[in-house]
Amino acid sequence: MGNNSVIRCENISFQYTEGSTLFSDVSLSINPGGFYLVRGPSGSGKSSFLRLMNRLEEPSQGTLYFKGIPFSEMTAPELRRQVLYIQQTPIVTDGSVKDNLLMPFTFKNNRTLPLPDDSHLRGVLDEFSMEMIPLDKQARNLSVGQQQRLCLIRGLLLSPSVILLDEPTSSLDDESSLIVENMAESLCLNAGKTIIMISHRGFRPHTIKPTIIEVKDGRLTVLPQE
Amino acid sequence: MEHHIIDIGPYQLAICLIFVVISGIASIVYSLKLEKDLLIGTVRTFVQLFILGYVLKFVFAMSNMFLVIGVFAFMIFFAAWTIYGRVKDKQIHFFFPVFVSMLLSFFLVAFLVTAVVVNVKPWWEPRYFIPLGGMVIGNSMNAIAIAIERLIGDLKSKRGEIEMKLCLGADSREASKLLLQKAMQAGMIPSINSMMAVGMVFIPGMMTGQILSGSDPLIAIKYQIVVMIMLTGSTALGTLITVLLVRNRCFNKAEQLVLKPD
Repeated sequence: MGNNSVIRCENISFQYTEGSTLFSDVSLSINPGGFYLVRGPSGSGKSSFLRLMNRLEEPSQGTLYFKGIPFSEMTAPELRRQVLYIQQTPIVTDGSVKDNLLMPFTFKNNRTLPLPDDSHLRGVLDEFSMEMIPLDKQARNLSVGQQQRLCLIRGLLLSPSVILLDEPTSSLDDESSLIVENMAESLCLNAGKTIIMISHRGFRPHTIKPTIIEVKDGRLTVLPQE
Repeated sequence: MEHHIIDIGPYQLAICLIFVVISGIASIVYSLKLEKDLLIGTVRTFVQLFILGYVLKFVFAMSNMFLVIGVFAFMIFFAAWTIYGRVKDKQIHFFFPVFVSMLLSFFLVAFLVTAVVVNVKPWWEPRYFIPLGGMVIGNSMNAIAIAIERLIGDLKSKRGEIEMKLCLGADSREASKLLLQKAMQAGMIPSINSMMAVGMVFIPGMMTGQILSGSDPLIAIKYQIVVMIMLTGSTALGTLITVLLVRNRCFNKAEQLVLKPD
């Protein structure tokens, strides 16, 4: 088990409700800068696995570590800022694109972070194919695909080292899905982010060889790189 | 002008039942299936209010501070139990903290009104403390139940939005701030609406009672103003404290929403 892992799971088990174990005694390491694809049948626990890694859920047994530090020794907001979780369905709040992008900086735990100015926000939007979207546009008026990109960009502004993508393309059309998938690959390749992604579309990165984590029958298996 | 209170005799009381009979007939004719509830409700009204009358007579006669506080605490216990029963979702056990917070906040409001505003001596004089305290409990109970129900419902239905904020570094307070505000508003709006309509749309029960028992309407309105403001204050205080307590129980130390979806 790699000592330089960014996330390490040690003998973790997870029960969604009392008596319904999704997986048990799982140990695996996530290496920094890696691209991981999580696969498995519906209801096998793929989303729960991702939610455990940013502590939206708690394992019933075992320990998770972030860069060698047990999760329990970090505050949840501190961990979640480092291990960003992007939900399946994009959720934007009332207000403009800019309001949404700056929303995380209103939280007490993020107030020490430098507040991005308009030119920085513009630059990030442009980088992710949102050149046509003005900062003052109402976020709820964006298409679902644009909202999903906005959600990803909003999280990226917190400079996470790991990005967990929970079927981010499930509600998107092919064109938007491709943009989001390319974004994920580019973040891994060019920004050195660790990406752990659930994808039903049979997505495969163009240039990176992903590591497959298979969730099946209560077990998590890391398959060799294809 | 001397005013004699007209007592209502048993036969006159029985005549009132004619209204229940009319309601019962309407229920049968239109198949409302409310006859049984009407009957039970009528019997309970008679039994509960007669018991209350005898209890109040006893408490007034004893004139004992601890007895007055005991009756007040019992009424709050019953109100907290009613709230717990009315909130459908039982994932969060909030009976005890709600009871304690209602006890403290309602006692504070009732004490301030009797001791400072009305200036009753002693402050626990049962003829003042129990009816005023009872109004505080009765009104705030509905507001608290509405607010808790709304908060728990919203926390479950807007789980995605809360978790989105948690994922972006918010703590549970920040993530649920908007829902807390909405729950507070839902609880408080009926009391504020009452303040808007009082005297124009309806004459409140307490004021009616005072006028019927011979009080000068100008004295009655002053009591009513105190009561309206007291009720709004106790509703705000009670709703705020209980909603905060319930919200805290909906999240754990790891800032996870512990309420599971239906």
